[in-house]
Amino acid sequence: MACTLLPHPDFAGSKVKRLRCIFYLGLLCSVCIVLGAPKSVAAQETPYFVTYSHHLEEPGNLEIEMNSTYGTQRRGNDFIAPWVEFEYGAKAWWTTEFYLDGQGTFHDGALFTGFRWENRFRPLMHEHSINPVLYVEYENTNGADKTMIEVVGFDGQADHAVPNSEAQQEHQDELETKLILSSDYKGWNISENFIGEKNLGHDPWEFGYAVGASRPLRLAATSNSCNFCRENFLVGAEIYGGLGTSWNATLSGTSHYLAPMVGWQLPSGASFRISPGFGLNDNSHRFILRWGVSYEIDGFGHKVRSLFR
Amino acid sequence: MTPMTRWIIPGLLVLALAFALAGSAAEQDHEHRHEHPTDDRGVLLAIAQAPQRTREWRNPYEGQPDAVLAGEKLFRQHCAECHGSNARGKGHAVNLHLSAVQNATPGELEWFLRNGNLWRGMPSWSGLPEQRRWQIVAYLKSLRR
Repeated sequence: MACTLLPHPDFAGSKVKRLRCIFYLGLLCSVCIVLGAPKSVAAQETPYFVTYSHHLEEPGNLEIEMNSTYGTQRRGNDFIAPWVEFEYGAKAWWTTEFYLDGQGTFHDGALFTGFRWENRFRPLMHEHSINPVLYVEYENTNGADKTMIEVVGFDGQADHAVPNSEAQQEHQDELETKLILSSDYKGWNISENFIGEKNLGHDPWEFGYAVGASRPLRLAATSNSCNFCRENFLVGAEIYGGLGTSWNATLSGTSHYLAPMVGWQLPSGASFRISPGFGLNDNSHRFILRWGVSYEIDGFGHKVRSLFR
Repeated sequence: MTPMTRWIIPGLLVLALAFALAGSAAEQDHEHRHEHPTDDRGVLLAIAQAPQRTREWRNPYEGQPDAVLAGEKLFRQHCAECHGSNARGKGHAVNLHLSAVQNATPGELEWFLRNGNLWRGMPSWSGLPEQRRWQIVAYLKSLRR
Protein backbone atom coordinates (compact mmCIF):
# COMPACT_ATOMS: atom_id res chain seq x y z
CA MET A 1 0.00 0.00 0.00
CA ALA A 2 1.55 3.28 -1.05
CA CYS A 3 1.40 5.83 1.76
CA THR A 4 2.00 9.54 1.55
CA LEU A 5 1.32 12.48 3.79
CA LEU A 6 1.43 14.89 0.89
CA PRO A 7 -1.84 16.43 -0.27
CA HIS A 8 -3.55 14.70 -3.16
CA PRO A 9 -6.25 16.16 -5.39
CA ASP A 10 -8.51 13.19 -4.75
CA PHE A 11 -8.98 13.63 -1.01
CA ALA A 12 -12.42 12.10 -0.95
CA GLY A 13 -11.32 8.78 -2.44
CA SER A 14 -8.21 8.31 -0.35
CA LYS A 15 -8.92 9.93 3.00
CA VAL A 16 -9.57 6.71 4.89
CA LYS A 17 -6.47 5.11 3.38
CA ARG A 18 -4.42 8.15 4.33
CA LEU A 19 -5.53 8.08 7.94
CA ARG A 20 -4.79 4.37 8.04
CA CYS A 21 -1.40 5.11 6.54
CA ILE A 22 -0.63 7.64 9.26
CA PHE A 23 -1.65 5.16 11.91
CA TYR A 24 0.34 2.27 10.43
CA LEU A 25 3.38 4.43 9.73
CA GLY A 26 3.31 5.63 13.32
CA LEU A 27 2.89 2.10 14.60
CA LEU A 28 5.67 0.79 12.36
CA CYS A 29 8.06 3.55 13.41
CA SER A 30 7.18 2.95 17.06
CA VAL A 31 7.89 -0.77 16.76
CA CYS A 32 11.15 -0.05 14.91
CA ILE A 33 12.14 2.46 17.56
CA VAL A 34 11.37 0.11 20.42
CA LEU A 35 12.78 -3.08 18.91
CA GLY A 36 15.32 -1.92 16.40
CA ALA A 37 17.72 0.25 18.30
CA PRO A 38 20.51 -1.82 19.78
CA LYS A 39 21.31 0.07 22.95
CA SER A 40 19.72 2.77 24.97
CA VAL A 41 19.59 4.59 28.24
CA ALA A 42 16.64 5.44 30.41
CA ALA A 43 16.23 9.18 30.54
CA GLN A 44 14.70 11.24 33.30
CA GLU A 45 11.40 12.03 31.70
CA THR A 46 8.35 13.98 32.62
CA PRO A 47 5.13 12.79 30.97
CA TYR A 48 3.96 16.23 29.80
CA PHE A 49 2.91 16.90 26.22
CA VAL A 50 2.70 20.69 26.40
CA THR A 51 4.56 21.76 29.54
CA TYR A 52 8.35 21.76 29.69
CA SER A 53 10.39 21.09 32.80
CA HIS A 54 14.01 22.12 33.37
CA HIS A 55 15.30 18.61 32.71
CA LEU A 56 17.26 18.64 29.48
CA GLU A 57 18.46 15.82 27.28
CA GLU A 58 21.70 14.21 28.42
CA PRO A 59 24.61 15.49 26.30
CA GLY A 60 25.29 13.45 23.18
CA ASN A 61 22.00 11.50 23.41
CA LEU A 62 19.29 11.57 20.78
CA GLU A 63 15.68 10.96 21.71
CA ILE A 64 13.23 10.11 18.95
CA GLU A 65 9.57 10.63 19.80
CA MET A 66 6.41 9.84 17.88
CA ASN A 67 3.39 11.64 19.26
CA SER A 68 -0.18 12.19 18.15
CA THR A 69 -3.15 14.31 19.07
CA TYR A 70 -6.66 13.08 18.38
CA GLY A 71 -9.21 15.87 18.60
CA THR A 72 -12.97 15.94 18.50
CA GLN A 73 -14.32 18.82 16.48
CA ARG A 74 -17.57 20.73 16.89
CA ARG A 75 -19.05 21.83 13.55
CA GLY A 76 -16.28 20.00 11.74
CA ASN A 77 -14.42 16.73 11.37
CA ASP A 78 -12.37 14.98 14.03
CA PHE A 79 -8.65 14.77 13.33
CA ILE A 80 -5.42 13.03 14.21
CA ALA A 81 -2.30 15.17 14.19
CA PRO A 82 0.95 13.19 14.51
CA TRP A 83 4.36 14.76 15.00
CA VAL A 84 7.88 13.41 15.25
CA GLU A 85 10.53 14.91 17.50
CA PHE A 86 14.30 14.50 17.34
CA GLU A 87 15.71 15.80 20.60
CA TYR A 88 19.47 16.08 20.96
CA GLY A 89 21.53 17.02 24.00
CA ALA A 90 24.11 19.37 22.47
CA LYS A 91 25.49 20.26 25.91
CA ALA A 92 24.43 19.51 29.45
CA TRP A 93 22.92 23.04 29.47
CA TRP A 94 21.58 23.12 25.90
CA THR A 95 19.04 20.86 24.19
CA THR A 96 18.07 21.29 20.58
CA GLU A 97 15.01 19.68 19.01
CA PHE A 98 13.59 19.31 15.52
CA TYR A 99 9.91 18.56 14.83
CA LEU A 100 8.01 17.39 11.78
CA ASP A 101 4.25 17.94 11.96
CA GLY A 102 1.39 16.40 10.02
CA GLN A 103 -2.33 15.87 10.34
CA GLY A 104 -5.17 13.82 8.98
CA THR A 105 -8.74 15.07 9.15
CA PHE A 106 -11.62 12.61 8.79
CA HIS A 107 -13.67 13.19 5.62
CA ASP A 108 -11.13 15.72 4.41
CA GLY A 109 -7.50 14.71 3.90
CA ALA A 110 -4.04 14.34 5.32
CA LEU A 111 -0.98 16.48 4.86
CA PHE A 112 2.42 17.49 6.12
CA THR A 113 2.00 20.77 7.96
CA GLY A 114 5.53 21.98 8.61
CA PHE A 115 8.53 21.84 10.89
CA ARG A 116 9.80 23.44 14.07
CA TRP A 117 13.24 23.88 15.52
CA GLU A 118 13.53 24.61 19.21
CA ASN A 119 16.38 25.26 21.61
CA ARG A 120 16.36 25.21 25.39
CA PHE A 121 19.08 26.73 27.53
CA ARG A 122 19.73 26.52 31.24
CA PRO A 123 21.27 29.85 32.29
CA LEU A 124 22.04 28.72 35.86
CA MET A 125 24.52 25.90 36.30
CA HIS A 126 23.25 24.67 39.68
CA GLU A 127 19.92 23.42 40.98
CA HIS A 128 17.71 25.91 42.78
CA SER A 129 14.25 25.75 44.29
CA ILE A 130 12.97 27.27 41.02
CA ASN A 131 15.04 26.56 37.93
CA PRO A 132 14.68 28.78 34.87
CA VAL A 133 15.13 27.59 31.30
CA LEU A 134 15.05 29.86 28.25
CA TYR A 135 13.29 28.49 25.19
CA VAL A 136 13.45 29.76 21.60
CA GLU A 137 11.68 28.09 18.70
CA TYR A 138 11.32 28.81 15.02
CA GLU A 139 8.15 27.43 13.41
CA ASN A 140 7.49 27.06 9.73
CA THR A 141 4.01 25.59 9.54
CA ASN A 142 0.78 26.18 7.72
CA GLY A 143 -2.68 26.97 9.01
CA ALA A 144 -3.75 23.32 8.85
CA ASP A 145 -1.41 22.36 11.72
CA LYS A 146 -3.48 20.74 14.48
CA THR A 147 -0.80 19.28 16.74
CA MET A 148 -1.67 21.78 19.50
CA ILE A 149 1.80 21.50 20.97
CA GLU A 150 1.02 24.82 22.54
CA VAL A 151 -2.08 26.98 22.82
CA VAL A 152 -1.56 30.74 22.57
CA GLY A 153 -3.49 33.93 21.91
CA PHE A 154 -7.04 33.24 20.81
CA ASP A 155 -6.33 29.76 19.42
CA GLY A 156 -9.62 27.90 19.52
CA GLN A 157 -11.36 24.82 18.26
CA ALA A 158 -13.09 26.81 15.51
CA ASP A 159 -9.66 27.30 13.83
CA HIS A 160 -9.53 23.56 13.21
CA ALA A 161 -12.93 23.40 11.51
CA VAL A 162 -11.52 25.11 8.41
CA PRO A 163 -11.09 22.62 5.50
CA ASN A 164 -7.50 21.56 4.88
CA SER A 165 -7.45 22.88 1.32
CA GLU A 166 -8.19 26.36 2.67
CA ALA A 167 -6.23 26.21 5.93
CA GLN A 168 -2.99 25.07 4.29
CA GLN A 169 -2.90 28.27 2.22
CA GLU A 170 -2.07 30.21 5.39
CA HIS A 171 1.67 30.27 6.01
CA GLN A 172 2.90 30.63 9.58
CA ASP A 173 6.48 31.78 9.99
CA GLU A 174 6.71 32.18 13.75
CA LEU A 175 9.11 32.77 16.58
CA GLU A 176 8.09 31.27 19.89
CA THR A 177 9.72 32.03 23.20
CA LYS A 178 9.08 30.51 26.60
CA LEU A 179 10.21 31.14 30.10
CA ILE A 180 10.24 27.74 31.78
CA LEU A 181 10.27 27.63 35.57
CA SER A 182 10.54 24.22 37.13
CA SER A 183 11.04 22.70 40.57
CA ASP A 184 11.57 19.25 41.99
CA TYR A 185 10.21 18.67 45.47
CA LYS A 186 9.83 15.33 47.26
CA GLY A 187 9.56 13.40 44.01
CA TRP A 188 7.19 15.87 42.38
CA ASN A 189 8.09 17.96 39.39
CA ILE A 190 6.16 21.21 39.18
CA SER A 191 6.66 23.27 36.05
CA GLU A 192 5.26 26.59 34.84
CA ASN A 193 5.70 27.89 31.31
CA PHE A 194 4.99 31.41 30.07
CA ILE A 195 4.71 31.50 26.29
CA GLY A 196 5.11 34.39 23.86
CA GLU A 197 4.67 33.72 20.14
CA LYS A 198 5.14 36.13 17.25
CA ASN A 199 4.24 35.67 13.63
CA LEU A 200 7.27 37.12 11.87
CA GLY A 201 5.18 38.51 9.02
CA HIS A 202 2.41 40.26 10.90
CA ASP A 203 0.14 40.01 13.91
CA PRO A 204 0.88 40.94 17.51
CA TRP A 205 2.58 38.79 20.11
CA GLU A 206 0.35 35.96 21.33
CA PHE A 207 0.62 34.72 24.88
CA GLY A 208 -0.12 31.44 26.57
CA TYR A 209 0.66 29.38 29.62
CA ALA A 210 1.16 25.78 30.65
CA VAL A 211 1.44 24.39 34.16
CA GLY A 212 2.17 20.77 34.98
CA ALA A 213 2.83 18.51 37.95
CA SER A 214 3.97 14.90 37.87
CA ARG A 215 5.43 12.23 40.11
CA PRO A 216 6.60 8.61 39.80
CA LEU A 217 4.23 6.12 41.46
CA ARG A 218 7.18 4.88 43.54
CA LEU A 219 10.14 7.06 44.42
CA ALA A 220 12.79 4.50 45.33
CA ALA A 221 13.92 1.91 42.81
CA THR A 222 13.62 -1.81 43.43
CA SER A 223 16.69 -4.00 43.12
CA ASN A 224 15.16 -6.14 40.37
CA SER A 225 14.84 -5.14 36.76
CA CYS A 226 11.13 -4.98 36.00
CA ASN A 227 8.84 -3.57 33.37
CA PHE A 228 5.56 -3.32 35.26
CA CYS A 229 6.70 -2.19 38.69
CA ARG A 230 5.38 1.10 40.05
CA GLU A 231 8.72 2.90 39.82
CA ASN A 232 8.42 2.85 36.00
CA PHE A 233 5.09 4.69 35.96
CA LEU A 234 4.59 8.43 36.24
CA VAL A 235 1.32 10.20 36.77
CA GLY A 236 0.55 13.86 36.47
CA ALA A 237 -1.63 16.55 35.01
CA GLU A 238 -1.19 19.70 33.05
CA ILE A 239 -3.35 22.72 32.38
CA TYR A 240 -2.71 25.05 29.49
CA GLY A 241 -4.32 27.74 27.41
CA GLY A 242 -4.15 31.12 25.72
CA LEU A 243 -3.80 34.52 27.34
CA GLY A 244 -4.71 36.79 24.43
CA THR A 245 -2.33 39.05 22.56
CA SER A 246 -0.20 42.13 23.17
CA TRP A 247 -3.11 44.16 21.77
CA ASN A 248 -5.69 42.43 23.91
CA ALA A 249 -4.35 40.49 26.88
CA THR A 250 -7.39 38.70 28.25
CA LEU A 251 -8.85 35.33 29.14
CA SER A 252 -12.06 36.09 27.31
CA GLY A 253 -12.30 34.24 23.98
CA THR A 254 -9.31 32.02 24.73
CA SER A 255 -9.27 28.24 25.06
CA HIS A 256 -8.06 26.17 28.01
CA TYR A 257 -7.47 22.48 28.69
CA LEU A 258 -6.96 20.19 31.63
CA ALA A 259 -5.13 16.95 30.88
CA PRO A 260 -4.23 14.15 33.28
CA MET A 261 -1.54 11.79 32.01
CA VAL A 262 0.26 8.54 32.61
CA GLY A 263 3.79 7.72 31.50
CA TRP A 264 5.50 4.34 31.41
CA GLN A 265 9.26 4.10 31.16
CA LEU A 266 10.79 0.77 30.28
CA PRO A 267 14.31 -0.06 31.45
CA SER A 268 15.20 -0.62 27.78
CA GLY A 269 14.96 3.13 27.17
CA ALA A 270 11.55 3.18 25.52
CA SER A 271 8.78 5.19 27.09
CA PHE A 272 5.09 5.54 26.44
CA ARG A 273 2.63 8.17 27.58
CA ILE A 274 -1.03 8.88 27.13
CA SER A 275 -3.11 11.85 28.10
CA PRO A 276 -6.83 12.54 27.70
CA GLY A 277 -7.48 16.27 27.63
CA PHE A 278 -10.69 18.10 28.41
CA GLY A 279 -11.66 21.50 27.09
CA LEU A 280 -12.59 23.90 29.86
CA ASN A 281 -14.77 26.28 27.86
CA ASP A 282 -16.70 26.59 24.61
CA ASN A 283 -13.64 27.82 22.69
CA SER A 284 -11.84 24.56 23.42
CA HIS A 285 -12.16 21.15 21.83
CA ARG A 286 -14.42 19.10 24.10
CA PHE A 287 -12.01 16.19 24.18
CA ILE A 288 -8.52 15.50 22.91
CA LEU A 289 -6.42 12.40 23.36
CA ARG A 290 -2.65 12.46 23.08
CA TRP A 291 -0.30 9.52 23.03
CA GLY A 292 3.37 9.09 22.34
CA VAL A 293 6.26 6.67 22.27
CA SER A 294 9.90 7.64 22.55
CA TYR A 295 13.26 5.98 22.47
CA GLU A 296 16.57 7.38 23.56
CA ILE A 297 19.77 6.49 21.71
CA ASP A 298 22.78 7.00 23.89
CA GLY A 299 26.05 8.39 22.59
CA PHE A 300 24.48 9.42 19.27
CA GLY A 301 26.79 12.43 18.93
CA HIS A 302 29.82 10.26 19.55
CA LYS A 303 28.69 7.75 16.93
CA VAL A 304 28.17 10.49 14.34
CA ARG A 305 31.57 12.02 15.10
CA SER A 306 33.25 8.65 14.74
CA LEU A 307 31.99 8.52 11.14
CA PHE A 308 34.15 11.53 10.30
CA ARG A 309 37.36 10.36 11.91
CA MET B 1 8.42 32.30 -0.31
CA THR B 2 10.88 31.92 -3.19
CA PRO B 3 12.48 28.55 -4.00
CA MET B 4 15.79 29.94 -2.74
CA THR B 5 14.42 31.00 0.65
CA ARG B 6 12.72 27.61 1.02
CA TRP B 7 16.14 26.04 1.33
CA ILE B 8 17.62 28.65 3.65
CA ILE B 9 15.90 27.45 6.81
CA PRO B 10 16.56 23.70 6.30
CA GLY B 11 20.15 24.62 5.40
CA LEU B 12 20.51 26.61 8.58
CA LEU B 13 19.08 23.70 10.55
CA VAL B 14 21.61 21.27 9.10
CA LEU B 15 24.40 23.74 9.82
CA ALA B 16 23.18 24.20 13.37
CA LEU B 17 23.04 20.45 13.95
CA ALA B 18 26.54 20.05 12.54
CA PHE B 19 27.68 22.91 14.76
CA ALA B 20 26.12 21.29 17.81
CA LEU B 21 27.77 17.95 17.07
CA ALA B 22 31.09 19.57 16.26
CA GLY B 23 30.93 21.75 19.37
CA SER B 24 30.28 18.74 21.53
CA ALA B 25 33.17 16.91 19.86
CA ALA B 26 35.51 19.87 20.26
CA GLU B 27 34.66 20.18 23.94
CA GLN B 28 35.23 16.49 24.55
CA ASP B 29 38.50 16.47 22.61
CA HIS B 30 39.65 19.54 24.50
CA GLU B 31 38.91 17.91 27.81
CA HIS B 32 40.57 14.73 26.66
CA ARG B 33 43.78 16.55 25.76
CA HIS B 34 44.06 18.89 28.69
CA GLU B 35 42.53 17.05 31.57
CA HIS B 36 43.09 13.37 31.95
CA PRO B 37 39.76 11.62 32.51
CA THR B 38 41.02 9.86 35.59
CA ASP B 39 42.55 12.97 37.09
CA ASP B 40 41.74 13.28 40.81
CA ARG B 41 42.15 17.05 40.78
CA GLY B 42 39.25 17.78 38.40
CA VAL B 43 36.95 15.57 40.45
CA LEU B 44 38.06 17.18 43.68
CA LEU B 45 37.41 20.64 42.28
CA ALA B 46 33.95 19.65 41.10
CA ILE B 47 32.94 18.00 44.37
CA ALA B 48 34.46 20.86 46.38
CA GLN B 49 31.63 23.06 45.09
CA ALA B 50 29.23 21.18 47.36
CA PRO B 51 28.11 23.36 50.27
CA GLN B 52 29.57 22.59 53.71
CA ARG B 53 26.22 21.37 55.08
CA THR B 54 26.08 18.49 52.57
CA ARG B 55 29.05 16.82 54.32
CA GLU B 56 26.82 16.04 57.28
CA TRP B 57 24.04 14.45 55.26
CA ARG B 58 23.65 10.74 55.94
CA ASN B 59 22.61 8.26 53.31
CA PRO B 60 19.21 6.91 54.46
CA TYR B 61 20.05 3.62 52.70
CA GLU B 62 23.45 3.15 54.34
CA GLY B 63 24.14 -0.51 55.14
CA GLN B 64 21.19 -1.78 53.09
CA PRO B 65 22.32 -4.39 50.52
CA ASP B 66 19.08 -4.00 48.55
CA ALA B 67 19.80 -0.31 48.09
CA VAL B 68 23.23 -1.14 46.66
CA LEU B 69 21.60 -3.51 44.17
CA ALA B 70 18.98 -0.92 43.26
CA GLY B 71 21.76 1.66 42.92
CA GLU B 72 23.67 -0.66 40.62
CA LYS B 73 20.56 -1.08 38.47
CA LEU B 74 20.11 2.69 38.29
CA PHE B 75 23.80 3.16 37.55
CA ARG B 76 23.53 0.82 34.57
CA GLN B 77 20.44 2.65 33.31
CA HIS B 78 21.71 6.20 33.69
CA CYS B 79 25.46 6.35 34.24
CA ALA B 80 27.22 3.37 32.66
CA GLU B 81 27.09 4.80 29.14
CA CYS B 82 29.53 7.55 30.15
CA HIS B 83 31.34 6.10 33.15
CA GLY B 84 31.58 2.54 31.84
CA SER B 85 29.79 -0.54 33.13
CA ASN B 86 32.63 -1.12 35.59
CA ALA B 87 32.54 2.58 36.64
CA ARG B 88 36.22 2.97 35.74
CA GLY B 89 35.61 5.91 33.45
CA LYS B 90 35.33 6.19 29.71
CA GLY B 91 36.31 9.02 27.39
CA HIS B 92 36.01 12.25 29.35
CA ALA B 93 33.89 10.72 32.14
CA VAL B 94 35.79 10.13 35.37
CA ASN B 95 36.76 6.88 37.01
CA LEU B 96 34.42 6.51 39.97
CA HIS B 97 36.89 4.30 41.84
CA LEU B 98 39.15 7.33 42.30
CA SER B 99 39.95 8.25 45.86
CA ALA B 100 38.49 11.72 45.18
CA VAL B 101 35.12 10.06 44.65
CA GLN B 102 35.46 7.37 47.27
CA ASN B 103 36.63 9.82 49.95
CA ALA B 104 33.79 12.24 49.26
CA THR B 105 30.99 12.08 51.79
CA PRO B 106 27.65 10.54 50.72
CA GLY B 107 26.08 14.00 51.04
CA GLU B 108 28.60 15.55 48.69
CA LEU B 109 28.01 12.83 46.11
CA GLU B 110 24.23 13.19 46.34
CA TRP B 111 24.60 16.96 45.92
CA PHE B 112 26.86 16.45 42.93
CA LEU B 113 24.42 14.01 41.31
CA ARG B 114 21.58 16.49 41.83
CA ASN B 115 23.48 19.46 40.43
CA GLY B 116 25.80 17.84 37.92
CA ASN B 117 28.57 19.88 36.39
CA LEU B 118 26.72 21.31 33.41
CA TRP B 119 29.56 23.38 32.06
CA ARG B 120 31.85 20.32 31.99
CA GLY B 121 29.32 17.93 30.49
CA MET B 122 27.98 16.13 33.57
CA PRO B 123 24.17 16.40 33.46
CA SER B 124 22.06 17.21 36.48
CA TRP B 125 20.14 14.17 37.78
CA SER B 126 17.62 16.22 39.69
CA GLY B 127 14.92 14.55 37.60
CA LEU B 128 15.54 11.34 39.50
CA PRO B 129 13.77 11.23 42.87
CA GLU B 130 16.08 11.89 45.80
CA GLN B 131 15.68 8.29 46.99
CA ARG B 132 17.12 6.98 43.74
CA ARG B 133 20.10 9.36 43.91
CA TRP B 134 20.86 8.03 47.40
CA GLN B 135 20.65 4.47 46.06
CA ILE B 136 23.22 5.37 43.39
CA VAL B 137 25.43 6.85 46.11
CA ALA B 138 25.11 3.60 48.07
CA TYR B 139 26.30 1.72 45.00
CA LEU B 140 29.20 4.13 44.37
CA LYS B 141 30.35 3.74 47.93
CA SER B 142 30.21 -0.04 47.59
CA LEU B 143 32.83 0.15 44.80
CA ARG B 144 35.65 0.75 47.25
CA ARG B 145 35.31 -2.73 48.70
